[in-house]
Amino acid sequence: MSNAQVGTVYDHIISEVINAVRVDFEENGVDDGVLEELKKGWQHKLSQLNVAQFPWDPKPDPPPAQATTAQQAQASNPTPAPVAASYTQSTLSPQTSAQPISLPAGHLNGSGVAIKSEPGHVNHELHPHIKQEPGANGTHVPTSLPQFPPGTQAGSIAQMRAAAAVADRFGQRASASIQAIHGAPAPQQPGQQVQQQQAHPGQQHGLPPHMMGQQRPQQVSQQQQYQQQIAVQMRMQQQQQQQHPQHPQHPQHPQQGRPPNGLPAAQVDGPTGEVYEGVLMRRDAQGRPVEMSRFEIDELLHAQLAARAKQMEGGGLMLPVKQATRHRGIAGEKNPASTQVDGIDDDIKDEDLDDEDAINSDLDDSDDDGEEDDDDEEFGGYMMLCMYDKVQRVKNKWKCTMKDGVMTVSGKEYVFHKGTGEFEW
Amino acid sequence: MATNSTNFYDLYRHGSLGSTLTDALDDLIGAERIDPQLAMKVLTQFDRIVAEALSEKVKARLTFKGSLDTYRFCDEVWTFLIKNVTFKMDNGAHTVVAEKVKIVSCSAKRADDK
Repeated sequence: MSNAQVGTVYDHIISEVINAVRVDFEENGVDDGVLEELKKGWQHKLSQLNVAQFPWDPKPDPPPAQATTAQQAQASNPTPAPVAASYTQSTLSPQTSAQPISLPAGHLNGSGVAIKSEPGHVNHELHPHIKQEPGANGTHVPTSLPQFPPGTQAGSIAQMRAAAAVADRFGQRASASIQAIHGAPAPQQPGQQVQQQQAHPGQQHGLPPHMMGQQRPQQVSQQQQYQQQIAVQMRMQQQQQQQHPQHPQHPQHPQQGRPPNGLPAAQVDGPTGEVYEGVLMRRDAQGRPVEMSRFEIDELLHAQLAARAKQMEGGGLMLPVKQATRHRGIAGEKNPASTQVDGIDDDIKDEDLDDEDAINSDLDDSDDDGEEDDDDEEFGGYMMLCMYDKVQRVKNKWKCTMKDGVMTVSGKEYVFHKGTGEFEW
Repeated sequence: MATNSTNFYDLYRHGSLGSTLTDALDDLIGAERIDPQLAMKVLTQFDRIVAEALSEKVKARLTFKGSLDTYRFCDEVWTFLIKNVTFKMDNGAHTVVAEKVKIVSCSAKRADDK
């Protein structure tokens, strides 16, 4: 009795069977590839049962091993990944914020042509570059950004971005405020700082406290000018900017829709619901102009589908006459409404199988004892198939001598040449 | 159990090896790649080869004990339902316990005689 033998024995059986039926396949004019397919399918299904180790699938074992080693490797040094992630974040945020001035900045980085695309270089070389923006504006910006007027030190980059954003949004109307932005630090400055804080929490500490103190009053005054110049709607927008400074583009859509509608932001969903209703109405209008409920529409569609299905199948065009008439009878019995196409299909398939005398029928009625089929399921597939040499009984004690057996127990398959069993009734 | 033309039981078709073969054949029949008759020939060959392989290739021995729940002898086929079975294999080196096992056994003599 052995589980280890199962693989080799089964492999032997499979190759023997395949070789034995090769002639039959040729006589039937069946391609050799189909035979190979049969073999592959057989082996595959057998492997899926996972009852033993089979020689044809050594492959399933190595991949799990590799996967586990990879997982172990990942688990053994979990730190590099997060570090790399933080670096990419930190490289991304200065890139985006520095985009308007990327060209002049490129000149100043001694080595720097393709710095940003290479993570290895970026890690250390971009750090001084990052620091230019939020903190040490006073020293670095005038040298690194020669195109800006030297008077605009703090938040000059932010000014540019703010001006661009405002110009984008309001066009000519905001020209006055854009000019104001150029004159003083931008209102978006706090927004950028929030961005930087998110990317590098440590860097904010490097910011001199007096710089912070200078910037805030300037911002407030700038905002006041801004509000005076723009109308009430614009004021709302600016409040929106202050509330969500890190996403300056996002508030655009709701704001554009809101003032004319006079609707609060929360009710944006309302109109879309009405739009859906409109779609339903339109479909209805094809049939009737009157309002229809969804249920009614569903019924209408279903009726059309059923009618088409009936045309195709009930007409008997695609079926032998026998089956067509037979399935009509079935349909009549089971579905008086004859709308359930699926049911009919199944019936036909079942009958087809029966008609073809498929192997199924041969397997399904167990030759020895039909009642035991239920037991198979109860027994969870624990089953021994074998030959008996002797079966003896003395009172309630039984002795059996078995041979050439195959047994499936606990999900494993065993084969044996000789077996003896003793049991009491 | 019924014998086929080559005098081998189709008993082993009910095992995992046989059922997977019939599944694979069914797939091919369903795809209309082979005839059902050809599939039957394959299964006939399978019956013969399994019986030969089990008697020739396998040397392992097995002893098992348990309490017999149901027995039946019909058409030369013994069917036992055994509960609380202990299988000992490799001369007792390996033991497997099962709550219930169904044994279907055909006469070895009849297979030999024919």
